[in-house]
Amino acid sequence: MAETTLLQKTVTSRIALVGNPNVGKSTIFNYLTGLNQKIGNYPGVTVDKKSGSVQINGETFEILDLPGTYSLFPNSEDEIIAHRVLNHTKLEERPDHVLMIIDSSQLSRGLFLATQLIDLGVNLAIILNMADLAEKNKLEIKTYELFKALGVPVLNTDARNQKGLDQVKNLISQRNFTKAPSFIDIQQVIPVDMLDEVQKRFQLENSYQAYQMIRFGTKDKAIAAEDRVWLEDLTRTADFDLEEAQLEETKIRYKKITEIVTVALTKKTEPKAKSNLDKIFLHPVLGYLVFFSILFLIFQTIFTWASYPMDLIDGLFADISARISTALPDGPLTRLLAEGVVPGIGGVVIFIPQIAMLFGFLAILEDTGYMSRVVFLMDRWMRPFGLHGKSIVPLVSGIACAIPGVMAARNISNWKEKMITILITPLMSCSARLPVYIILIGLVVPDEMVFGFINMQALALLGLYLLGVVGVFGTAFLLKFILKTAEKSFLLTELPPYRIPRWSDVGITMFEKSKTFVMEAGKVILAISIVLWVLASYGPPSRMDQIRLEGEARLENVTDEAQIAEIEAETSSHLLENSFIGIMGRAIEPAIKPLGYDWKIGIALITSFAAREVFVSTMATIYSIGGDLEDELTIREKLDQQINANTGEKTFNVASSFSLMVFYAFAMQCMSTVAVVKRETKGWKWPLIQTAYMTILAYVGALITYQLLS
Amino acid sequence: MTADTLPLNKSGKILEIMPSPLKINLMELGFLPGKKITLQHLAPSGGPMAFRMEDTLLALRKSEAALIRVEQI
Repeated sequence: MAETTLLQKTVTSRIALVGNPNVGKSTIFNYLTGLNQKIGNYPGVTVDKKSGSVQINGETFEILDLPGTYSLFPNSEDEIIAHRVLNHTKLEERPDHVLMIIDSSQLSRGLFLATQLIDLGVNLAIILNMADLAEKNKLEIKTYELFKALGVPVLNTDARNQKGLDQVKNLISQRNFTKAPSFIDIQQVIPVDMLDEVQKRFQLENSYQAYQMIRFGTKDKAIAAEDRVWLEDLTRTADFDLEEAQLEETKIRYKKITEIVTVALTKKTEPKAKSNLDKIFLHPVLGYLVFFSILFLIFQTIFTWASYPMDLIDGLFADISARISTALPDGPLTRLLAEGVVPGIGGVVIFIPQIAMLFGFLAILEDTGYMSRVVFLMDRWMRPFGLHGKSIVPLVSGIACAIPGVMAARNISNWKEKMITILITPLMSCSARLPVYIILIGLVVPDEMVFGFINMQALALLGLYLLGVVGVFGTAFLLKFILKTAEKSFLLTELPPYRIPRWSDVGITMFEKSKTFVMEAGKVILAISIVLWVLASYGPPSRMDQIRLEGEARLENVTDEAQIAEIEAETSSHLLENSFIGIMGRAIEPAIKPLGYDWKIGIALITSFAAREVFVSTMATIYSIGGDLEDELTIREKLDQQINANTGEKTFNVASSFSLMVFYAFAMQCMSTVAVVKRETKGWKWPLIQTAYMTILAYVGALITYQLLS
Repeated sequence: MTADTLPLNKSGKILEIMPSPLKINLMELGFLPGKKITLQHLAPSGGPMAFRMEDTLLALRKSEAALIRVEQI
C-alpha cells in the first residue's frame, strides 16, 4: 500500500492507450501495468475508467486505458469518454501522450482513428500490433512509409507473442511522441467562421478541436448548460447539417488513407476464404449444438470445481467466527463481530470462486473470438424480447450466479437492451437457489421413476429452472414495451479471427472482476448483514431477558450434554421468535398466509433477503435443530414433522413447498445482486424497482401455485 | 440491389451507403463505395449476416445490410 502512494506521488507523465476493439490493447495495457491497475468511474456514465502505473528507468508513468472505439464520432458512451479525456477542459487532466494501437491486418480502419487523433493535435505514437496475423494474411507494411505520411513514430509489435514489447517501454520512457501537422483540413467540411467562433469561446488549440466541440458539446453533460445552448443555437442559425459534415469528413479521410495504404501495404494473397472453424461454429444447426455443448461443459465444470473452494471458504469463516466467540469475552461487540461482521464478509467472499471462474471462461470465449459468434447466432432469438445478441452472455452466466451476469451486461451499448438484460438476469435460477430447491423437493417429491427412466425429483428441479427461463423472457417481453429509448438498436460487429487465448490476460480479468465485486458490492452486503444481525439478535428487552432467564433456569440441574444442547437450541429458537425479526415475521404472517406459509417461514423469508441460501440455516435455527446445521437430512426430517398452526396440516406439504419454491424462483433475495445492479446502473432507482417487481412476481406466482395445489 | 439480398457465398461491389443514422457507423467500419464484400454466413430464420470484406469478417443484421447498395460481381 505504502508503495502505491509513493508511486502516485512521482507520476511524471500520463499516457492514454487508444485503439479499435480487438486490437490487443488490453494485452499491452496488462503488459505495462501488470496487477498495478485500478478501476474507477467517469462521472455520469457506466464506462469504467481503467488506469494503471508502470515504472521505467525509475520514472513512473500513469497509463490510461480508454475504451475501444472506431472513431471519435459521438456514437456511444465509449466514444464520448474518449473525446472527454482527450479534450479535457482542464489541461492537467488531459493525458500528456497518446499511444494508438492498430491491428496490422486492419490498417485502414486503425488509421481512421489515428488520423483523427492527429487532427486533434495530440502527442501521438502508433503501435502496429498483431504482426503475427499480418504475416499469416501475407501482409507487409512499410513502417517507414507510414511514418513519412503521418509524421508520428510507428512501432511494430506482436503483443500476444511478447515480441517488440520492450520497445514500447523504450518509446514511453524516451517520450518519443510527436504532435504531427493536421491530416485533413476540417475547414473543407465546416465553415471557417463557425470554427473560429467556437475555438475562441472555448479557447481551443485548433479547428479540429472546435469541430469536435460542435459535434460533442451539445451531448456532453460535462459542458456547462449555457455553453450547450450556445452551441445548439450556433448550428441552428448557421443552418448547418452536422451529420452531412461527418460523412464528408469520413469520405475525405478514408480517401487520403487509401492513398497512404496503397503505398505502405503490400498484399501477397487474396483475402481469405471461409474459415473451417466458422463452417462449424456458424452452421445453422451445428453452431447451436456446439454452443449448448460448450455451455453445458462450462457449467458442469463450475459446479464441480467451485464447490471445493466454496466449502473451504464457508468452513473457514465459520471457524473464524467460532474462534472469535471463544477468544474474546462474551458481549454485544464480540457477537456482532462473530455473528454479523464475519459471516457478512464470508457471504461476500463465498461468491468469489464462481465469479472468478465464470469470468475466466467468459474471457477465454471472448479472447478466442468465439463469443462474437454466439452473439451472431443468438441475436435473432433475443430481439423479439427487446434483447440484443450480446444479452446471451449475462443470461447464461445467470445460471451460475447473477452477479457476474449483471456485470457482463455492460458490453451492450444500447441503453434499453442493457437495462432489460440487467433487470431480468437475476430471474435465471442461480446456484444459490439450488439448496432451497433440493431440500424442499426432497420433502415433497417422491424419489421415484416415471416411465421407468425419468427421476421425478430431477423433473421437478428441471421444471423450476424452466420456470426461471419463462420468467426471464416473459419479463423481458413486458419491459420491451415499458422502457423507452431514442437509441436505435444495431448489430455491427467484427467476427475476429480465432486465436489461442492469452492466459495471463484471462488471469488478470479473473482477478480484476473479483476485486471489483469485493470492493463495490462488498460494502453494501456487509452493511445489510449487520442490520439483519441486529434485528435477529435484539428484541424488546423485557421479553428477551425473560427467555434468557428461563433458559438458564432450565439448565441448572441438567448434566446430560445432549439435553443441554437441546435446551440451548430451544432457547435460541425462542429468542429468534421474539427478536425484532421474529416480530416482523409475525407481522407479515397475514400477508403470507394465502401462500400457505406461517410466521416461521416468514422469518426465513426476511432473513434470506440477504441471501437466499440462508433459508436453510434459518429454518434450522427456528426449528431448533441442535448440532450440525449443514446436515440436511436432519433438517429435512424436522421440517417434515412441522405442523402449521393455521391449517393443522404439515407446514411443508406439496402445496406450500411448491409455493415456496416458486417464491424463491422469482424473488430477489440476494443483496449482492442488488448491490451490483446499483453499481452498474449508478443509482438506487433500478435495483429498488427490480426488487419490487421480483417480489410481486414471486408473491403472485406463489399465491397461484398454492391455491391451485391445495 | 442491396447487400441483404446477396445470395450466400456471392460477392458484391459497394455502390453507396444509404442515408440513415447508422450510415456513419457502417462507414467507419470500412463499408465504403468500391469495396468488395462477400456474404459468407447467414444465421437461420432471418438472423444476422456475416460479410467478408478484405481481411475481416463483419456481422450485421439484415436491416443494416439493406442500407448497403451493391452490384453483384
